Amino acid sequence: MKKKVVSLVLAGAMTLSLALTGCGGGGSDSGDAPASDSGSGSEEASDSGDSEGGDKQFEGITLKWWGGNAENNAGTQAVMEAATEKLGMEFEVEVNPGGSEGDNILKTRMASGDLPDFLVYNSGSKLHDLNPSRGFLDISDWDIIDKFDDAFLSSVTIDDAVYGAPQSSTQAGAVIYYKPDYEELGLEVPHTWDEFLDNCKALADAGKTPVYFTGGETWATQVLFLGDYYNIAAKNPDFADDYTNGKAKYADVPEATRSWTKYEDLVDYLNADKSAATVTDGNFAIATGEATHWFILTQQLPLILENADNPDDIGVFGVPGEDADDHGLTVWEPMSWYVNKDSENIEAIKAFFEFYYSEEALDLYFETYGANGPSCVKGYELPESVCNAVRVDMQQYFDDGKTVPALEYQSPIKGTTCEQMTTAVGLGQMSGEEAAAMYDDDCKKSAVQLGYDWE
Amino acid sequence: MKTKKERSLYPVWFVLPSLIIFVIFFLWPIISSLYYSLTVWNFDTAKFCGLDNYKLFFSEHSMSSSVVHTLIYAFGTSALKVVLAFFIAIFLTSAIKTKGFIRSAVFFPNLVSMMAVGLAFSYMMHPTKGLLNVVIQAFGGTAIDFLGNPSTALISIIMTDVWKGLSISVVIYIAGIQSIDKTYYEAASIDGATGWQQLKHITLPLVAPSQNSIIILSLIGGLRSFDLIWAMTGGGPGFSTDVLASVIYKQYAAGFYGLSTAGNVVMLILISVIAFPLQHFLNKREEAIQG
Repeated sequence: MKKKVVSLVLAGAMTLSLALTGCGGGGSDSGDAPASDSGSGSEEASDSGDSEGGDKQFEGITLKWWGGNAENNAGTQAVMEAATEKLGMEFEVEVNPGGSEGDNILKTRMASGDLPDFLVYNSGSKLHDLNPSRGFLDISDWDIIDKFDDAFLSSVTIDDAVYGAPQSSTQAGAVIYYKPDYEELGLEVPHTWDEFLDNCKALADAGKTPVYFTGGETWATQVLFLGDYYNIAAKNPDFADDYTNGKAKYADVPEATRSWTKYEDLVDYLNADKSAATVTDGNFAIATGEATHWFILTQQLPLILENADNPDDIGVFGVPGEDADDHGLTVWEPMSWYVNKDSENIEAIKAFFEFYYSEEALDLYFETYGANGPSCVKGYELPESVCNAVRVDMQQYFDDGKTVPALEYQSPIKGTTCEQMTTAVGLGQMSGEEAAAMYDDDCKKSAVQLGYDWE
Repeated sequence: MKTKKERSLYPVWFVLPSLIIFVIFFLWPIISSLYYSLTVWNFDTAKFCGLDNYKLFFSEHSMSSSVVHTLIYAFGTSALKVVLAFFIAIFLTSAIKTKGFIRSAVFFPNLVSMMAVGLAFSYMMHPTKGLLNVVIQAFGGTAIDFLGNPSTALISIIMTDVWKGLSISVVIYIAGIQSIDKTYYEAASIDGATGWQQLKHITLPLVAPSQNSIIILSLIGGLRSFDLIWAMTGGGPGFSTDVLASVIYKQYAAGFYGLSTAGNVVMLILISVIAFPLQHFLNKREEAIQG
């Protein structure tokens, strides 16, 4: 008997300690997931519902939505709270793990008819992959569509059906950097890849970590490759079409191969925990100057600024190419909201989105959360409170016309193991040329599945 | 044809309930997956495409390395479990005082879910902040990038798997050892056999049936293992810990359903090709020893 008790207690202690280890690591990710906020808010609202009545026409409806941590941010929550106040509906979020894991969950849920009322997902080629007519509502007859610019609309239009509405502003695949390091060493923003490497060398000599790499979260390692597309397109204006038709290959077009070999140049300049670091680690590293550069989507800017002492410490520049006079930015359309076509609450969702794109809600969103880049709502100016990295650094490229949409908005084909390859090259386990050739094979597989005839 | 004349004691359709369950939940999925592996399908439609999926699957660039990793993983974990568990079981069946406690301690890892173990170990193996590297560095060693370095990643996962999976093998061994008749040992010690000789000539042969179960179970488990690898590295860095199951999963996640079904059929065949002859061989050996 005694033995049993002792072993039970020990078993308990051991399980507990393991569970705690688990929580310690996950805490930073899930800590800010405010599922509980909206949950408690909804209770209060339904309690006080009767007394107010009136224009809260969607009282008592709870809209379930699904999105990543980046989308379920303070801005979205503020807008949702305002919508609850105004329209009465409540919101319940399910946080999506992101990356290929998230894709898989979404595809499975879509196939089994288990989608939430609305959700956030990529626009562009990944939307094509989903075969969206199966699960998403065509919202081309909604009034809000007229507010969005054409570049965005083309990224969510398939066969004349419009499926998405922008969750946030545009963003770029670019270098986010820590300005105080540049000031300290007297460095200039590089306009060619060689200048960039010189800066890295100077930083390394000064004992700093020049480039941050997040091998623990593989999707983020693709940004150098994807963000370098401006430089490919600058030299090869027809690359996107030729690539879609199977004529242009990464292994054959020199600028395209260069996108892969750029990883090789950086191998010696990366952080010590490059194989395990996560995007959350990266946000912190750039904000505090633990590392100087990070090739990442500018959707991380607001999250980085949460940790930074001074918003002006953080700057952005496009991935440098060969030509100093043609230094541009590869732009991503924002993630989009999609509506479940079988939702029972389509009217409420429509009302919510009409509110979401009102000037009032847009200001509320960008003032609360910040912006990833210029907005794709026509005629809307970002509020003054948005950081200089967006309103000065990024806006400059837009004003000069030196932007190009990322390849995934111009071609439906994207190799599915891209992130594994960029990680492998980045960690120095594979050469850039090898990866370029492997990636061509990978794209071929995806093209065949999408019905293209590649030989 | 004697059986025909003998009237069965029970009506044949006593079998029916279990037969129905078996057909619906086991036989039908296997047959339908054979069919779907020959198509390009997407939940709504299926287009017949012959053996294209198999061709594509075998031309996958990570394919050959993933088969090698699968075999290393399966045989590595199996061998380590068989050997380590034997000595632990010997120790735990000997006359030690805190037997009950140590036995429970050995069994603890098995109570935790695979995902939790995977996450906990990947935190411990973090290249700069992980517990293991903090300890190594405290003793003046250089940090090891357990999961980030392709040459140590697979072995690190194998070790974790062994840590977690050892206990089942130990329990099976203990049962086997305890069922050996004590008189053999008495007779042997009267004849002057040393402890080592007793172990080699009595325990080892007589524990063979348990050992065979362990080999088969851990090998099949290793061949189709996925959860631990996915939790710890996701098949990475790059493709250096990709096993068959993770390649198939990634294809499924990419929406190549026909291709991943074909992969599953290939895996089923591979496991059968390894497991059935092995079992046959082990049974023969067992009979030879005890016969």
